[in-house]
Amino acid sequence: MRRRTIVFIACSPHARTGVSTTARLLTDYYLSRNIDVVGFDADPHEPFYGDLFPSHVRPIDLNDVRGQIALFDSLLIDDERPKIVDVWHRSYDKFFTMIKEIRFIEEAVKVGLEPIFLYHVDPSERSLSGALTLYRTWSDASLIAVHNEGASPLGAEQHEILSYYPARGKFVIGPLNAPAAKVLRDPNFSITRFLTAPPSDMSIVVRAALKYWISSAFTQFQSFELRAALEGLDCLR
Amino acid sequence: MAHKSLKTVKPIPEKGSATVVKTKAQARSHVKPGVILVGADKGGVGKTTIARALLDYLAGNNILSRAFDTESPRGTLHRFHPELTSVVDLTSTSDQMKIIDTLNTAEVKVSVIDVRAGGLGPALHALQDTGFLDAVREGEITFVVFHVLGSSIASLDEITEVAPYVEDAYYYLVKNHVNDTTFFEWDPVTHRKYFEKVNTAGEITIPKLNEMAYEQVEISGTPFSTFVANQTASGDEANHSFVLRGYVRTWLNRIGEEFDRVELLRLISGKTGKER
Repeated sequence: MRRRTIVFIACSPHARTGVSTTARLLTDYYLSRNIDVVGFDADPHEPFYGDLFPSHVRPIDLNDVRGQIALFDSLLIDDERPKIVDVWHRSYDKFFTMIKEIRFIEEAVKVGLEPIFLYHVDPSERSLSGALTLYRTWSDASLIAVHNEGASPLGAEQHEILSYYPARGKFVIGPLNAPAAKVLRDPNFSITRFLTAPPSDMSIVVRAALKYWISSAFTQFQSFELRAALEGLDCLR
Repeated sequence: MAHKSLKTVKPIPEKGSATVVKTKAQARSHVKPGVILVGADKGGVGKTTIARALLDYLAGNNILSRAFDTESPRGTLHRFHPELTSVVDLTSTSDQMKIIDTLNTAEVKVSVIDVRAGGLGPALHALQDTGFLDAVREGEITFVVFHVLGSSIASLDEITEVAPYVEDAYYYLVKNHVNDTTFFEWDPVTHRKYFEKVNTAGEITIPKLNEMAYEQVEISGTPFSTFVANQTASGDEANHSFVLRGYVRTWLNRIGEEFDRVELLRLISGKTGKER
């Protein structure tokens, strides 16, 4: 069965909401299943996501037309490979202004792609209004609320806050303890390699914490993927 | 050149006024021919770019048009719109006949004339000599002039020179930013000095188009709308960048909004602008 090409747009108007972490986890989720991924890091100055996957993720500068072409023209290629964009918070306005101007979402839907906003929530009002704007502007695209509990805790009212988001679904990325988080920050650490051959010199506690954290995220991605595949089946329409 | 007072420039007819309200049958039986002249005396101000955008705008609004390119013998407008465009010499009698004598008989009622650099004054003079401007004064022809301004003070002198010929025309000053022209800010005294001699129907601003997008359309040799539709000149599917097509589409839409704002379609055909 032919796989529908998904374009994930991981974004947030604010810094430190876990956008790059989600892009990273999603990329590793596909790579660990031998599915090739095309990624883009919209932070041309410190492309952390790009540095993690040098052969899969391209840093792009949205202020340069060549960067825009490299991003949007590549995203529109319907080759079944999932596309993941890490929208740096400083590129957020530029990115969405551009996709509105060039009608990217409309074109993506027209050529059979599935654009999905992975909107990273935080407790601010601007976060909610940003999500509502995306939802109202592009009803053709799905919006998934991503709550990174470690990067952007919502506190005791998290269920109420999340209920205001016009999201088709939600991903919850759990918090990590400090030693595990430190391992993850190392640019030479690969989640895919860790899953296939965990380093023998790594603390068992850290290893367990990372495995739990990763598998929790991957389970949600898999569940989402299966649901999307089911929804796309002609026999169920 | 003697300058007449030009305070009698035609007002744009009001929507629903007696001058524009006609039954469909009347409209079919007599659609007044319209001529849109795009010109400037200075070269490199983007006249042909505007004429090209204009032809796209008219086509996009289902207005059949024909074009005349006075950049003889080989016109740039003709390169992009070969099926609509004839290359003419406005000072040649046979070419004047080709344009003016066919205004009432041609199926296509809107003619766009792209005047070559330095040719605006002579073109208007030729139109006066042929009696065209008299026909405009009699209300037989709608005449719209897009005077494309350059960035220098010389453009203001051009306005004064053109003024005597356009008193019965809908005369628009066009500021073209497509090639990144920065216009001098006219101080009020300078502004008054020149503009007291001419009443314009308004100003039109052509926004800047991204250089790479512009260059790619040039290379493709197609109308802007064909580039946006990702087609080649022969109608086959092209491989133009989606981003660059987006830039061109947005730019064309903005120009269309400018033409809608001055109600160009109503002037030349009684139609209103389409939803964008």
